[in-house]
Amino acid sequence: MSADVTKVDAAAEPMFELPDELAIDTGVARRVIAEFIRGQLRQAGFERAVLGLSGGIDSALVAYLVAEAIGAERLLCVMMPYKTSSPASQGDAEAVVAALGCASELVEITAMVDGYFGDDGVPGEGGPDSLEATALRRGNFMARMRMATLYDRSVTWRGLVVGTGNKTESLIGYTTLFGDSACAFNPIGDLYKSQVRQLSAALGVPEVVIRKAPSADLWPGQTDETEAGFTYPVLDRMLYWRVDRRRGVDDMVEMGFDRALVERVDRMIAGAEFKRQVPPIAKLGPRTAGVDYLYPRRRPGSARP
Amino acid sequence: MQPLRIALAQIAPRLGDLEANLARHHELIAAARDRGAGLVVFPELGLTGYQLQDLAADVAMRAEDPRLGELAEAARGLSAVVSFVEESPDHRLFIAAALLEDGAVRHVHRKVFLPTYGLFDERRFFAPGDVVRATPSGLGVGVGLAICEDFWHVSTPQLLAMDGAQLLINVSSSPGRDLASTNEVGLGTATSWRTLMRTYAQLTTSFVVFCNRVGVDESLSFWGGSEVIGPTGAAIFGAPMFEEGLYTADIDLGDVRRERITLPLLRDERPELVGREWERIVNGRAGLDEDNGQ
Repeated sequence: MSADVTKVDAAAEPMFELPDELAIDTGVARRVIAEFIRGQLRQAGFERAVLGLSGGIDSALVAYLVAEAIGAERLLCVMMPYKTSSPASQGDAEAVVAALGCASELVEITAMVDGYFGDDGVPGEGGPDSLEATALRRGNFMARMRMATLYDRSVTWRGLVVGTGNKTESLIGYTTLFGDSACAFNPIGDLYKSQVRQLSAALGVPEVVIRKAPSADLWPGQTDETEAGFTYPVLDRMLYWRVDRRRGVDDMVEMGFDRALVERVDRMIAGAEFKRQVPPIAKLGPRTAGVDYLYPRRRPGSARP
Repeated sequence: MQPLRIALAQIAPRLGDLEANLARHHELIAAARDRGAGLVVFPELGLTGYQLQDLAADVAMRAEDPRLGELAEAARGLSAVVSFVEESPDHRLFIAAALLEDGAVRHVHRKVFLPTYGLFDERRFFAPGDVVRATPSGLGVGVGLAICEDFWHVSTPQLLAMDGAQLLINVSSSPGRDLASTNEVGLGTATSWRTLMRTYAQLTTSFVVFCNRVGVDESLSFWGGSEVIGPTGAAIFGAPMFEEGLYTADIDLGDVRRERITLPLLRDERPELVGREWERIVNGRAGLDEDNGQ
């Protein structure tokens, strides 16, 4: 059922490194995730889904999972490049769309972004200094333009926005608040990057997508691993033992992890706590959402008629 | 031979939708009867869904609620176990399982152990039951009802068996987690439960019936895998994981006598010793032992 990627072909270079402790049963994962996707849609009164397809592995995997759960004909993949986005990424996204046979749309975000930050030496709506905006500001803005686009397409396509962020980037905060992290539900948010790769291989995501270096593609040549300074297999193992298995810093060092790196990752996790939670509301009245007014998101009457 | 056909209603309840779930129960009770079952078992909170939070009060029923009476009436001629939110006369809410027989609610078990750790928050919304007791049944043997976490405490199956149960029925809403590929069936939760069921069946020399729900409430996915284990600890039937359905298993209740003659573990239990030692331990933990003079 699930391809064991480490044994596909002994002679070929493995597509990726999968630490032993992170290996999952991909058959069970597919069952659980498919039912999760169907359940979320049914409970919300929707039959279709929409997601942003970047050409990277996370959104490709989610597209495959959604297609498996509800059929490709109910999925819309929106490709939203900026003028500096890698053409190869778009080619990869198109390959995923072609393989799945789902609907797709191309929405260039260049005019939206340049309208704010300016273009060709002319400042935009963001003010006279907008031309000097840092790559981080621009990257966050792009992520939020994509979010705005997806939520608009959610209306026209009549589908829920499916999240494509993984557990690794969520834990270290490598996400844009109200940008790429915004969604109606997320089927892969509890899978580390290494597990995303394992599941992608099992589902037949194109090999070129699995093999290429992960990148937020916010500027040419950017890759996650050069930016963060460690590789995903190492980072995933650290997060797994530290978070899921509750190992202390000293335990981690005994296990062979670098203390400085463990402490740095700890700071990243703590610093990103705000990105993983809904904003706090000042407690004033008798019952307050999220504090002592606690209902399931979906319950009788909450589905769209 | 004391043959019994058990129907396991491995359903996916609609969260908070009492009417829809009642209709589904009526449907499956009828189907179980058509298939010749003598006992039909529904999962924990099958009438309400699991992740209720503040909805619990909205879907609560009194044990004498006419809607339960109607289910009991529909189940006339067989024994049925259904689970719901029970509101007591003093307005405490319990996670309850009821044995329905002869058109009436014959026995109600209130969940004693409410997990409030990890992904669970039951004690916030529910009161714990105070009684673990077997009940006689129309099946000709004593029945012991337990709900999910009750079976993560070894005292529960032991008390039920010592109190006369030969058929232990655990109804569950067990959320699946830990997909590590090293697990026997690809799911850590399932591996643990399968171990518990076999162990309890063997140690109590009783049948163990496990009915677990499927479907999704919010973030949680329930894994099904309902089972019937014989008094030797051997699995007699296992329903598929994650697959909704009404599954039947045939057992011979006479196996209990044969196993208890062969392996008289219950005969050799020392309840008076256990009770005495428990009393000592309980007093000690409360600081009431003689040594500290209180």
